[in-house]
Amino acid sequence: MNTDGDLLHTVTADNISDARKRLGKTMVWGSALLCASMAVLQAAYQAEHISIGFETWRPILYAYMLWATALCLAQVIVNGEKGKRTLFVLPAALFVVSLVIFPLLFALYISFTDWNLASPNGPQPNGLDNLYQMWNDSFYWNALKNMVYYVLAVSVEYVLAFALALLLNAQIRARKFFRVVFLLPLMLSPVAVSWMIGKSMFEVRFGPVSRLIREFGGEPTFFGNPEIARFMIMAMDAWTFIPFMMIMLLAGLQALPREVIEASKVDGASGWQSFKEIVFPLMLPVSVTAVVIRIIFKLKLADVIINVTSGGPGGATDSVTSFIFREYRDRSNVGYGTLLAMVYLVLIVIFVTLLLKLVSRWMERPA
Amino acid sequence: MKVELYNYIKAAQKMNRRQVLKGSAALGAVAMMPQSAFAGGHGNVRAEILKIPGVGAGSPTDSDWQKVGEMCLGATKGNVDEGEFEGVELTFMGLNNQNLHNFLFRGFLKPWEAYTGAKINWIDLAQGDYNARLQQSIATGTVDFDIIEMGAPFEGDVLGKGLASEMPEWVKEQIDMDDYVDYLKAPVGTWGGKTYRVSIDGDCHTFAYRKDYFGPGSITGRDVPTTWQEINEVSKELIGKEDPLTGLPAHGYLDPLKGWGGFGFYFLENRASAYAKHPNSPAWLFEPDTMKPMVNNPAWVQAIQDVMDLIEAGAYPTDQINADPGTTAFQQFLAGTGSMLTWWGDVGSSARTSDTSVVGDVVGFGVNPASDRVYNAKAGAWEETRNEAPNMAYIGWGVYVMATVEGDEKKKKAAWSAAAHLGGKDLSLWASAYPSGFQPYRNSHFQYDEWEEAGYDREYVEDYLGSNADSYNHPNAAIEPRIPGIFQYYSVAEDELAKGYAGQYGSAQETADAIAAAWEKITDQIGRDSQISVYKASLGM
Repeated sequence: MNTDGDLLHTVTADNISDARKRLGKTMVWGSALLCASMAVLQAAYQAEHISIGFETWRPILYAYMLWATALCLAQVIVNGEKGKRTLFVLPAALFVVSLVIFPLLFALYISFTDWNLASPNGPQPNGLDNLYQMWNDSFYWNALKNMVYYVLAVSVEYVLAFALALLLNAQIRARKFFRVVFLLPLMLSPVAVSWMIGKSMFEVRFGPVSRLIREFGGEPTFFGNPEIARFMIMAMDAWTFIPFMMIMLLAGLQALPREVIEASKVDGASGWQSFKEIVFPLMLPVSVTAVVIRIIFKLKLADVIINVTSGGPGGATDSVTSFIFREYRDRSNVGYGTLLAMVYLVLIVIFVTLLLKLVSRWMERPA
Repeated sequence: MKVELYNYIKAAQKMNRRQVLKGSAALGAVAMMPQSAFAGGHGNVRAEILKIPGVGAGSPTDSDWQKVGEMCLGATKGNVDEGEFEGVELTFMGLNNQNLHNFLFRGFLKPWEAYTGAKINWIDLAQGDYNARLQQSIATGTVDFDIIEMGAPFEGDVLGKGLASEMPEWVKEQIDMDDYVDYLKAPVGTWGGKTYRVSIDGDCHTFAYRKDYFGPGSITGRDVPTTWQEINEVSKELIGKEDPLTGLPAHGYLDPLKGWGGFGFYFLENRASAYAKHPNSPAWLFEPDTMKPMVNNPAWVQAIQDVMDLIEAGAYPTDQINADPGTTAFQQFLAGTGSMLTWWGDVGSSARTSDTSVVGDVVGFGVNPASDRVYNAKAGAWEETRNEAPNMAYIGWGVYVMATVEGDEKKKKAAWSAAAHLGGKDLSLWASAYPSGFQPYRNSHFQYDEWEEAGYDREYVEDYLGSNADSYNHPNAAIEPRIPGIFQYYSVAEDELAKGYAGQYGSAQETADAIAAAWEKITDQIGRDSQISVYKASLGM
């Protein structure tokens, strides 16, 4: 019996012969070599360096699956019992590599090509051209600037959500009814909100809101003026997602220890003091989670904009996602669109990391 | 025929007792005839299919489509033996808009399948998914369909890349291509001198106006404008006046100032074609030898300036900057806001059937307005001559057979036979007279007697369809270039125009220059040389 290694979790003793180990390693390296050489040959065929190749990349996918299967089997063949434990994780890890890491790397490649679906030549690497184009693309920077406004709006949403959560946590009549009612907007699809609110309620001629404004002698304009249009988009998005923050904060409020709040009252704290010194600090972890998740939602804002304003007037309401959508869907500009998405991804990762770092420092807790 | 048109005619139908009796007598006479008496008679087939299900008898159903398909099989039987395509399977990709298009094709082709023995599998797509699906199929080399319903603007993407099968001679004879209206004849549907398209539709923009705004005693006191210069004058004169129907502020021409997935650019084209489409050249968007955009030449700049002038003057309704073409047509013009519009056929037909329409009794039609002067791009100078150039926006749907059938003669013949059946002369008459999603596109569709005999209102048909016919057959019609990525050009132009209209560029010229610069980028990205050759081919040069 093997007396080395982790004996505590070992069920059976493994006496694995060298020949068996060699077989396992041969399986892994053989299938890897097959997959790699097929991929290289197919790439050469696609680049017209050689004349023999497959019509599609599907056989290379099969070779990859063969390698993945061989890798899993080899774990047991080479490592025996220990290998079986590896098998609990390895398929999932390979799955993630196949469906997340590989597409990400592929997207990275695509983002440095000039791939336009209408081009007869397919994707051709074009160096840093897409980056230069992005640098000079006022539409993109304008969309990024708008994102700053949209993200800043989360602070107002947070205040409103907190107020609503406090209200619904208080002893008010029909509390359960109001909890359900306040949650309703969240249950609506943003696309439905776009049409029901943006394109119907605020329709400048027939919309009930427009008629009401006319009744009072005003001339309604909701999406004609850049600032008002941006505010309207923020308002519609806020209306949909404030309930989301509200419900998280409400859950936090309900989990607060009653004793501390009651103790503060006994000590003579006013309602405001109790909120400022006790409730708000205790709610910080929940608040941070709610705000961070909401910001991540906000960074993906597109549906309302696409449906209501298409980014107009003159790009005033464009979000990065709605701009990439137009670049991709209407203009089939896959290379440039992917680069924009990748840059945006990097910006989001940096932004969210910094945000969490700052928050954890502020709260003096490890992130 | 568009659904709305059919509904309108149905609603507005003024069948008098004489017409009803005439129809009944004809039906009775037909019922007494032996089958052989009309089966072979071409004219009788046309009259008979127009009675299915009958004007005013509700919308046609699948059984009606099958009946029509069955009765129009004569041409197929002349070229194909019964059971000849036994064992052949074809895949057809098309649209499912408004439960029309592919839904009709299924019914029309069912008797064809039964007769020939072929089987058809269907790929149904929503309009919004169509372009992306087609482009991805082309780009990734996964053309998984044998027959496709496709708009002519995509011919550059498909025919230009050799993905379609050339039309055999027997098909040309079966579908009688000489009967097409002028603008659907070559070069449309052709590439490099070869023919690929079976037309099943025609498209053009026409001018719709409010009759109550014009004429003696009206709020303008003018005749109906026929030029863009007059349209801008009238639009400015109407500021501050009251709409005679609604009592709300009166407005003139309605330009959509917001994009519409590329389709919004057609509306600037309506203005620009009168200035830019000189009869001496088919090119009006790009210079054929260099693909240099013409969109920033004085003609186009004038068109953009016209719109900016009306924005500056405050001639548009409030929030026009957020009005796309759908808004201008259905929420403004039909609802009584504005007095002039250019659009596809739908708007005329919706005039009385739409619940929100209030202009049904006062709407008139004509070809797109002209211009007092035209820019001669070859000479680089304006000419003070009147120029009319109706915009053939989108050129309509066609049926194309893909190159996937090449190498299998039986399959190829089956695919072309199916396409020819759908684009047959008689069947297309029925499709243009009943809800199908398609407009008339053959000269034989404009025989108003046939429509009247079938029970339609002659006056309406003449006014509305007449404007289409005049546009189709116009000698200086502005045909769009069928080059790869044409909607990419339109889409980016919409974005730049929106910025220009929002005042983010200093002038119309700057806006036009920004569009031209964006177009140059797209051309370079797709490949300038290939675009030049494809563009020339699409113009028949």
